[in-house]
Amino acid sequence: MKELLLDNISNNFVVDKNENFFINKFDGAKDIQITLNENVESVLSLLSLSGYEGNINIKISKDSRLEIYYADFAKNVTKTKVNISLEKGAKVIFHLASLTVENSNKLFTVSVDHDAVNTYSLIDNYGVVKGNGKLVFDGISYIKNGSVKSKTRQSAKIMVFDEKSIGIAKPILKIDENDIEASHGAVVGKISDEHLFYLMSRGLSEEKAKILITYGYLKPIMNGFDENIQATIEKLIEGKM
Amino acid sequence: MSTLVIKDLCAEVEGKPILKGVNLTISKGETVALLGPNGHGKSTLLNVLMGHPKYKVTKGEVLLDGKNILEMSTDERSKLGLFLGMQNPSEVPGVINSDFLRAAINEHNDKPVSTYQFYKLLDNATKEVKMPFDLATRGLNEGFSGGEKKRNEILQLILLNPEIAFLDEIDSGLDVDALQIVADVINKLKAQGMGFLVISHYARLYDLIKPTRAVVMINGRIAVDAGPEVANRIDKHGYEWIKTELGIEVAKEEKDMNTVSIGSCAVKESIK
Repeated sequence: MKELLLDNISNNFVVDKNENFFINKFDGAKDIQITLNENVESVLSLLSLSGYEGNINIKISKDSRLEIYYADFAKNVTKTKVNISLEKGAKVIFHLASLTVENSNKLFTVSVDHDAVNTYSLIDNYGVVKGNGKLVFDGISYIKNGSVKSKTRQSAKIMVFDEKSIGIAKPILKIDENDIEASHGAVVGKISDEHLFYLMSRGLSEEKAKILITYGYLKPIMNGFDENIQATIEKLIEGKM
Repeated sequence: MSTLVIKDLCAEVEGKPILKGVNLTISKGETVALLGPNGHGKSTLLNVLMGHPKYKVTKGEVLLDGKNILEMSTDERSKLGLFLGMQNPSEVPGVINSDFLRAAINEHNDKPVSTYQFYKLLDNATKEVKMPFDLATRGLNEGFSGGEKKRNEILQLILLNPEIAFLDEIDSGLDVDALQIVADVINKLKAQGMGFLVISHYARLYDLIKPTRAVVMINGRIAVDAGPEVANRIDKHGYEWIKTELGIEVAKEEKDMNTVSIGSCAVKESIK
């Protein structure tokens, strides 16, 4: 996995062969522009510890496929926007896992433009909010006129831990074409009392039970990272970092 | 020897009294059959003993070797040696069964078990309940059949080795072979001195585990505390004799009437 280094002048990357990329240093970085050339398959993994305030613009050219894993463990106030455009036959799968803690306020906007026929997008967002944290997932799928046979799916799940925690999911489907498939699902809810009771009845403290449940909830994001980063994410979830 | 003493225990759910003065003593080494008609408080009693947040204790005390467990959190009760095998074990998505089991074992030990020790414990226990090892590596009860969930409960019983175990309809959802496996485990643990309080609606489980006592819960109280033959009597004759012999009116299970009785235009109301 190749690391992409960001700076505060320009961050333009072109992917012209099958290769996987990794970003974990966002500090002060300007907007990021990533272009996948035609017929390329790639995985982009992002780990944000300090938060990223800006735009990530991604263009996926004809018949290319990009899978994105975005793990967010920042403790501050951030507005992150991901804009994805799809050419003919292009596919994107976007996974986001965000742990939003006390005094954090985060807005993630993921927007996908289906500009041509036979395009595919899946937005799959998971969030956990603690204390007085606030987490908003905005999703916008725009299937433009002429983009027949395109498919889009948005899924957002947020688990709120405390009474003051706020989780909001706003999926939007803008559809300008017939003969397409579009759907969304959103769930915001508190941790199940039954699940907590079950784990605690086996001797796990409430805190440990919550860590185990949070870990299970955010774990799918692990698939996008190598073992070292997985260990880091595990520690972040356990609150050890 | 551990003894659990329940004194005048009253509890309610959402303001509705369910337990109305339960008195019962269970000692380690005893196997007590807990019988009673539906809706009279058997499952409530087990959940209250384990500290389920849905139930509010309004009166009474529960002492395990002199310590009032009602003042303890659910995890403290577990560490003290109580266990509840659940009627409907939760499916907890994403939590891997073996991670959960290892965390639970570690809570019950002074030192964390090594990976090798844990593997051995798990391997032996899964063999004992004849559970495929891969179930241990899947999400906790996620997609398990009814029988697999119950075996997973018994697996946890073996691994945590409590002083006194409460089993809530552990036999429901089990086929004949699985029931025999569960009964064999209970009998083995009985012989090692574990205490049991067991709810079942079927004499078959009681025939296999041979309780030392049977108690019958009627109207939120223990109405009968007698020998194990009571379980067979109830299996054959039901609960009518309690009214005729003991003069206790057995309350019918209360169900709120539907606010509406017909379909289409009332659907919104009826699915509330």
